Amino acid sequence: MSRPKVPAALACLLLLAAASGRPGPAAADTPPIAIVIHGGAGVIEPSRMTAAKEASYRAGLAAALDAGYAVLERGGSSLDAVTAAVRIMEDDPQFNAGRGAVLNDQGDAELDAAVMDGNGPRAGAVASVLHVKNPVELARLVMEKSRYVLLVGEGAEDFALEQGVALVPRSYFRTEAREREFEETRHAEWAPRNAGGPAAGAAQSNSMGTVGAVAIDRAGNLSAATSTGGLSTNKHRGRVGDTPLIGAGTYANNQSCAVSGTGQGEYFIRAVVAYDVCALLQYRHMTLAEAVHEVIHEKLRRAGGEGGVIALDPAGNVAMDFNSVGMFRGARDSRGRREIAMYRNDAKP
Amino acid sequence: MYAIAIHGGAGAVPRATLSVEREQRYRRGLEAALDDGYAVLERGGSSLDAVATAVRILEDDAVFNAGHGAALTREGAAELDAAIMDGRHLRAGAVASVRHVKNPIELARRVMEKSRHVLLVGAGAEEFALEEKFTLVPNLYFRTAERLEQLEFEQRGERVSDLVPPTPQGTVGAVARDAEGNLAAATSTGGMTNKRPGRVGDSPIIGAGTYAKNGVCAVSATGHGEYFIRAVAAHHVCTAVEYRGLTLQQAIHELLHGILRALGGDGGLIAVDCDGRIVMEFSTEGMFRGARDSRGWREIAIY
Repeated sequence: MSRPKVPAALACLLLLAAASGRPGPAAADTPPIAIVIHGGAGVIEPSRMTAAKEASYRAGLAAALDAGYAVLERGGSSLDAVTAAVRIMEDDPQFNAGRGAVLNDQGDAELDAAVMDGNGPRAGAVASVLHVKNPVELARLVMEKSRYVLLVGEGAEDFALEQGVALVPRSYFRTEAREREFEETRHAEWAPRNAGGPAAGAAQSNSMGTVGAVAIDRAGNLSAATSTGGLSTNKHRGRVGDTPLIGAGTYANNQSCAVSGTGQGEYFIRAVVAYDVCALLQYRHMTLAEAVHEVIHEKLRRAGGEGGVIALDPAGNVAMDFNSVGMFRGARDSRGRREIAMYRNDAKP
Repeated sequence: MYAIAIHGGAGAVPRATLSVEREQRYRRGLEAALDDGYAVLERGGSSLDAVATAVRILEDDAVFNAGHGAALTREGAAELDAAIMDGRHLRAGAVASVRHVKNPIELARRVMEKSRHVLLVGAGAEEFALEEKFTLVPNLYFRTAERLEQLEFEQRGERVSDLVPPTPQGTVGAVARDAEGNLAAATSTGGMTNKRPGRVGDSPIIGAGTYAKNGVCAVSATGHGEYFIRAVAAHHVCTAVEYRGLTLQQAIHELLHGILRALGGDGGLIAVDCDGRIVMEFSTEGMFRGARDSRGWREIAIY
C-alpha cells in the first residue's frame, strides 16, 4: 500500500476547483455579508394562519434575522451570527427548538443541535439533551472546548456542567401549546390509524420544525447552525434526527457551501442532504439553486421525504427552497436584500 | 458475482509489538467473520444479512473493539455505537451510546426494520430494544481485563502500545455485494479508549462511518471518528464515484491521503462498488481486514 503522498498538491487542486466553480453575481466585487434563517418547514399556509399568528411568526423571524445580521455588520464572524440567530429562535416558544420544542413520547423536550464552521472545517453537536437551555451554544462549546464532535444525553449534560453551563429543569421547555399538542397526538394515537395516517390533526398544524441559520462574513467564512426538538410530537425517546448529524441536517465548508435543513429527518439522514447539496455544487458544478433544487425536488421527493433547506455559497448566493407546503424563512445581505416569508408564494420585504 | 470485505479496526498496532500468538488470534477472528459472512452470500443470502452476520461475529470476539471487549470510557464503562445501511432502498438504522445491548448491530438493524426512525441513542434506544424483546446484558459483560488495563495505562498518560498487548483502536465493519447486485454496509464500535461518556464517533452516523447506495458503493470506515464526521467520509467516497466518475480506489485514496490527512486525521476504509470490486485502504500502519469474492479471491491481512 505504498503510494505517493501528495496531500498539499491535492488540497491545492481542490481549492482551485472550488474557486473556479462558478462566478456568482458578485464575482466582480467582494462577496457580500449575508445571513439566511429558517424556522421549520411543514403545512404552513394562509388558511391555517390567523393574522395575529402570522404577525407573531414574522416578528420572531425578523428578530433572529436582524440580530444575526447585526453581528455580521459590525465585523463579527459568521459563526457568531448563526449562533446568535439560532439562540433567539431557541428562546422563542413558537419555534420547535429550545423553549417550546415538541415533546417526545415521555412528555419531555429532547433537544438536538449542531454548528459547523466552514473554515477548517470544524463542527460540534449535541443530541438528546433534556436540560440545556440553548443547545446550539453547547454544540459550539463541544466544537471549541472538547476534542469531540458529537456528545449525546447525560454525557453531553455532564460536559455542559464542566463548562459552567447551568442546567434548567425539563419544565422550562414545556409550553401550554406543546402540552396540548402532546395530549391531542396521544389521543389520536389510540384512535384508528387509517383515517389520517400518522399526521393526525392539530399536532401537525405547526411545522415539522427545526430552526437554523447559515451565514457568510466579511472574511468570506461560511457557517451553519441548526437546532430542534425533533419530530412532531410523540417521537420515540432517544430518537435523533438529521439536525445534529454533520452532513445530514447541517454542513459548512468554505470550499463549497453552507446548508441547514428542516423536514422529515430520517429522509435527510439517508440522503445526507446538506453534504449532498455541497457535493453537487463542488463536483457537478451546479449553481447553488440548481443543487438545492436537485436534492429537495428530485432526490428527496422521489424518496418520499418532505422538507426544505437554506443555503449560501462563497459568492453570497442565497437559496431557500422546500417541497413542503411552506417554510418559515428569512434572508438579509449587504446588497440590500431583506426578506421574510413563510408561504410558497410570498416574499414580503 | 458476490463479494464481502471486513475490517477489525485500523491504527495503533505497531508491527514490532504484535506477538505471533496474538496475530493468530486476530487472524482467526477475521477468518471466522469473513467466512460466515461469505457463506451467507454463497447460499444466495442478501448482502444485508452477510454484513450483519460478519459484524455480529466481530462484536462477540473480545479482541476487537465492538460488543464484548469494546474500548472503555473514562469511567470504565462500555458505550457502544453501530449502524447498518441497505443500499437497495437507502434504508438505514443506527444506535449510539448504548450500554446494555449485546449486539448493537442487531439493534441497529431492528431500528431500520421496525421503527420509523434511523438513529436512536442512549436509554431511549434501550427502551426500544426492550420493546423489541431484546434481552439486555449488564455493562460488565463487555468489559475485559485487557481493556481495563488499556484504560488504566491511558489514564496514567503512558503510551498504551509500549506496555500492554496492542489492541486495535477502532471499529469493526463489513461491506458486501450480493448476487443480485445489492450493496450493504455495517459498522460497530466501542469508540475510543478513555472517551468521555456520551461521545459518539462516525460509526453510527450515516454518511460518515457507514454508507451504501446501490449502483455506487458501500463503505465502512475506521479511524479517528471526529475527522471522518467532518469530512462526511463514507458519503464523500460515494459522491466522488457517482458525481466525478472516480474509481473506488481513486476516491478512497483522495479521501484518506488528501482530505483526511489535510485535516489531520488517520484511519482506513473498506468499500465495494457495484461490480463487486473491493478496496481496503488505510493511512495508519495497519488495518485488520479481510476480503473474499466468488471469483476465488480470499485474503486476510493486517499490514
